[in-house]
Amino acid sequence: MDDLQKYRSRLRQLIFWLLIVENIVLIASWWALDQYLNLSKGIVIGISLVVAVVTSLLIMMIASGAATQPLKAIWQLILHLSPSEHGIPKPQIKDVKFGLELASNMANQIYQFAEVTSKIATDSEHQVHDLSLNFIAQNMPLPLIVLDPSETINFANEAAAQYLGLKSADMKGKNVYMVLDMSFPAEPTFDTWLKEVKTKNATATNSWERVRMSVGDGHPERLFDLAAYYNRENPEGNETMLVLFDHTKQYSQDEQAVSFIALSVHELRTPLTLLRGYIEAFEEELDTSGKPELADFMEKMRSQAEQLVAFVNNILNVARIDNNQLELHLEEAVWPDTLKKAIDGLSLRAKVRGISLHCRFAKDLPKVGVDRISITEVINNLIDNAIKYSGKSTVIDIETKLTNDGLVETTIKDYGVGIPNSVMNKLFTKFYRDHRNRAQIGGTGLGLYLSKAIVSAHGGNLWVRSKEGEGSTFGFTLIPFDQLTDNAKKAGAEDLVRDAHGWIKNHSLYRR
Amino acid sequence: MQPDQPAPGRKVLCIEDEHFIGELYDRALSKAGYVVTIEPDGAKALEKAETNDYDIILLDLMLPNLTGIEILRTLRDPARVPPLKSKIIIITNLEQRDDVRMDIEKQADGYVVKAELTPHELVEFLNNIK
Repeated sequence: MDDLQKYRSRLRQLIFWLLIVENIVLIASWWALDQYLNLSKGIVIGISLVVAVVTSLLIMMIASGAATQPLKAIWQLILHLSPSEHGIPKPQIKDVKFGLELASNMANQIYQFAEVTSKIATDSEHQVHDLSLNFIAQNMPLPLIVLDPSETINFANEAAAQYLGLKSADMKGKNVYMVLDMSFPAEPTFDTWLKEVKTKNATATNSWERVRMSVGDGHPERLFDLAAYYNRENPEGNETMLVLFDHTKQYSQDEQAVSFIALSVHELRTPLTLLRGYIEAFEEELDTSGKPELADFMEKMRSQAEQLVAFVNNILNVARIDNNQLELHLEEAVWPDTLKKAIDGLSLRAKVRGISLHCRFAKDLPKVGVDRISITEVINNLIDNAIKYSGKSTVIDIETKLTNDGLVETTIKDYGVGIPNSVMNKLFTKFYRDHRNRAQIGGTGLGLYLSKAIVSAHGGNLWVRSKEGEGSTFGFTLIPFDQLTDNAKKAGAEDLVRDAHGWIKNHSLYRR
Repeated sequence: MQPDQPAPGRKVLCIEDEHFIGELYDRALSKAGYVVTIEPDGAKALEKAETNDYDIILLDLMLPNLTGIEILRTLRDPARVPPLKSKIIIITNLEQRDDVRMDIEKQADGYVVKAELTPHELVEFLNNIK
């Protein structure tokens, strides 16, 4: 070791020169005592001895101080690095005159050593941490898939492999869209979402319901909810994480129920289409001049066929509500206009029964967010009920106003038979019908159930006040368009808006 | 072709397997000046549609040999050269599963529930297609 030799030779030189100096001092003092002071030999020897002892002590102090200088620096260094001794400042190696290089070299070595040992300590901590994370990810009983920035599968756990009927090793390195052929019930799909967040966000999460995926021949289709997490700065390229929640059993049961009804509806609608078509052709071709009765029959057939179409739609809507699949397309609407249109459609029926509909709409109501078709169904149901249960009374009051909570409230009040207290709580249940009038009054028992569900889906509330023999008031609230959540609005704006009969893309009349 | 105007001579391919519905639509559309071809078979309908000879295609979904959604997907394949000029209007009485509905919303130009429209109302509806 060069530095050690250098230090030793410097120390040797120091001691050599110190000894030379001591000897010179001794000889000089001996000579001076002998020459100038006529002292006896004994005294000279005595004094010389004292001088020798003093200079030796000095030499000892200087030499030992020099010899231990690097050691002192190193010791301070060790104390500084030692985990138990905190607060000791880092030693200044520059102050060392003897063995500076040795001390600083040793110091560097010690520092390196300390670094290595601390790294070993933290590494083993990390290893334990990694192992436990790996354990969790690998054995989590939910399918988990991790993607790198190029949407290649970086990791797929055991549950994912099992769920997809693959080996997790086979999944790694493949493009996610090659492995998961998912179809989504609505936009945004997973891939459009991911594309968007990659350009906009550093991190993002999203979830989807009722995602379906076929996993190859012989396996039933999978139906699941999907949750995704994205982080642009994730270490080791683990950018996107997908977790799948299987609901195959539950969703496919729902679907079977709905598809049974959808099929029944289809079977009912086809003859209805034909009936309406032929009735129309008849109305066109039949010469009813002089036979007003025939024209009236045609009109009645037409309106009954229309009512049947509406009833079929009701059945479908009930199935949708029961399976949480009712979908609204909210749009901004001037409420009195929408309400008036619906009422106009019913005034004829009221007139036939000798009932007049009195409307009183508050001025300056805020615009509301409604699905025109569904909300028209609600108005139809409520007014239709009021007509049916009006008894001998001849007036139905329809009012709208702004409530203290800033909601738009619509009330439909009849002065008819009213509802006994005992059945109030059954009123909104499916297929409930007032037994007192079942024979005389037609109905399906779906109207109020459907209406309540539709109003609730709009974020409003449907209520009833009634007294037997005095009449009933049904009321419902709607939320002003401005107060709708951004999400609801967005869904309304982005979604194509339904028309009663169908839609044409980019058309102002039949907008979608 | 003037938008929102009844267009005499516009060619309509009506892909509909229910004979009487086809007949009613043919009658109403022909009266309004449309030139109507009725095709009840899915596979043959696709052949006809591929001639790119029609202004409007009315497409039922439940069809023999090839379903309406298969026809829609084939006709609206982005790789098709040249792209199909015909407007495709789905005519159905069937409620769709969500994924099918999404394809229809993306790829079709219009949608009609047959039971909701009389033949005359369908003509009015088609008159609005630009």
